[in-house]
Amino acid sequence: MEDKTIVMGVIGSDVHAVGNRILQEAFEKAGFEVINIGVLAPQEDFINAAVETDADAILVSSLYGHGEMDCKGFKEKCVEAGLEDIVLYVGGNLVVGKQDWEPVKEKFLDMGFDRVYPPGTLPEEPIADLKEDLGIEE
Amino acid sequence: MELKNEKWSLDKFKEIREEVLQQWPTGKDVDFEEAIEYHNNLPEEQIMAEKLAEAKEEDVTLIQPRAGVALIDEHIELLKFLREEGQADLLPSTIDSYTRQNNYEEAEAGIEESREEGRSMLNGFPAVNHGVKACREVVEALDAPLQVRHGTPDARLLAEITLAGGFTDYEGGGLSYNIPYAKNVSIEQTLLDWQYVDRLIGYYEENGIKINREPFGPLTGTLVPPSVSHSVAIIEGLLAAEQGVKNITLGYGQCGNLVQDVAALQSLEELAEEYLADYEDVMLTTVFHQWMGGFPQDEAQAFGVISWGAATAALGKATKVITKTPHEAMGVPTKEANAEGLRSTKQVINMLRDQSLLSNDKLEEEKEMIKQETKQILDRVFELGNGDVAQGTVRAFEAGVLDVPFAPSKYNAGNLLPARDDDGAVRFLNHGNLPFSDEVVEFHQEKLEARGKSEGREPNFQMVIDDIYAIGKGRLVGRPRS
Repeated sequence: MEDKTIVMGVIGSDVHAVGNRILQEAFEKAGFEVINIGVLAPQEDFINAAVETDADAILVSSLYGHGEMDCKGFKEKCVEAGLEDIVLYVGGNLVVGKQDWEPVKEKFLDMGFDRVYPPGTLPEEPIADLKEDLGIEE
Repeated sequence: MELKNEKWSLDKFKEIREEVLQQWPTGKDVDFEEAIEYHNNLPEEQIMAEKLAEAKEEDVTLIQPRAGVALIDEHIELLKFLREEGQADLLPSTIDSYTRQNNYEEAEAGIEESREEGRSMLNGFPAVNHGVKACREVVEALDAPLQVRHGTPDARLLAEITLAGGFTDYEGGGLSYNIPYAKNVSIEQTLLDWQYVDRLIGYYEENGIKINREPFGPLTGTLVPPSVSHSVAIIEGLLAAEQGVKNITLGYGQCGNLVQDVAALQSLEELAEEYLADYEDVMLTTVFHQWMGGFPQDEAQAFGVISWGAATAALGKATKVITKTPHEAMGVPTKEANAEGLRSTKQVINMLRDQSLLSNDKLEEEKEMIKQETKQILDRVFELGNGDVAQGTVRAFEAGVLDVPFAPSKYNAGNLLPARDDDGAVRFLNHGNLPFSDEVVEFHQEKLEARGKSEGREPNFQMVIDDIYAIGKGRLVGRPRS
């Protein structure tokens, strides 16, 4: 497959590092060029990394419940930076407390994310989706 | 300022104190003399060290949840519920993640949004923003001791405010709240900042006030071998005791194999008594954390994990256990789910309170191995510091002699790879630069080769990934997916 670059990281004041490492491993194994900006990543770092590397997608993780506040305005900032077409995914424990998944998903779709993943998603799923969204033929 | 494991003079402490109390406007409400007076009037049932001493004496395991929300009234309601409906013996206030990074402005915005939305937008209690008076409102509304639980590399102002606010226990340490909780903060810096916290507590002790200290045992919470977390716990215990801390609870996070976990709890206490022997009037207790890694989504399965942790805590005779909830896989739990985790834990603990795991060869072998490994690590730490444990610790992390698996900190070598053996005990697939003897290295190799053989594969990183997912997917050992 042709080289596609993705930027991934854990947004905000979140320090969950284990899944981040596993995701990197899984996406690399699936053939992607992975720029992993790690934990404690502000919106700007995702966007700067994507601009610098001419990335095809940004994958945002949030495990600690503040995702709703941390992701606010993310899409708009991408557009300002000239990344209006970049593919945007978000996943994890995105809100505080156990809430119905559908409204949470809707909320993040409304915020401009292309796909939203619930907790416990195995890496295979976003990998398959990303291949589809980026038009990668195997 | 040069880092040394040496008790700070009161002058040096007070000089830095002036800066610390100016980090956020609520700092100016801290008045040490008045706080001593306040603590002197606290009922004994609200003093953590007293409760822990009693539990240790009576050989019972106390239960404590994690919990915290953005607003004061809701926070009080939550803790009352956990006390009454969950039968919690000890109460927490879990601090939100913005406060942990000293982002008090974002915490303020979170408080505002929580008011507007009518639900907590923060994953914990922003104690610094709320200030001393609000902390006391929380303390006074309850009848159990309160502990601050967080994950803050620079926790100096938080300590000043919460301790003046009547909290009697403070979690964390310069390693356990740096390596798993920060990316770019040097170890030297957090050790200094935590010497400040320990010196503050030493200052309280000098004034007759008992404040308990608890290094955070589980570190990254994922397949951390006992000797790795024990080394960190003992170093933080030593650093705290040097600054005058008198009541210390050392922690360990459940790995999942009963024999290894009980051996870990017993060896932790025995090792700590040995290493802290020079500090005569220190009271040591232990805390066991129910499984800190990924949980099953299904609540019934989650109760299985919780109960197994409860059983291990009871059989290992931990002084207290920190409970998980059936919502763990989804993040922050509701108060009802939190209370359910507590009640199921209490049921198991009460059933097992008169039982213990009988000594047997396997238990003794595990204990011996954990002790050997921990001593080999700590010997090298002292050597690297020419006898100074603080300086040795900084150099040991540089050299990978101290190393924590899956940690975000760039000051951590990150060479370790743990994996489960055929019985589910956590072993070293790669021990990095840990200064282990050949005997120890071979022991781990043999255990993992045996598992590889029974699974028909070479032990490798895939095995580690399988183990990380295993409990969430319904088992302990990550067998190959067929």
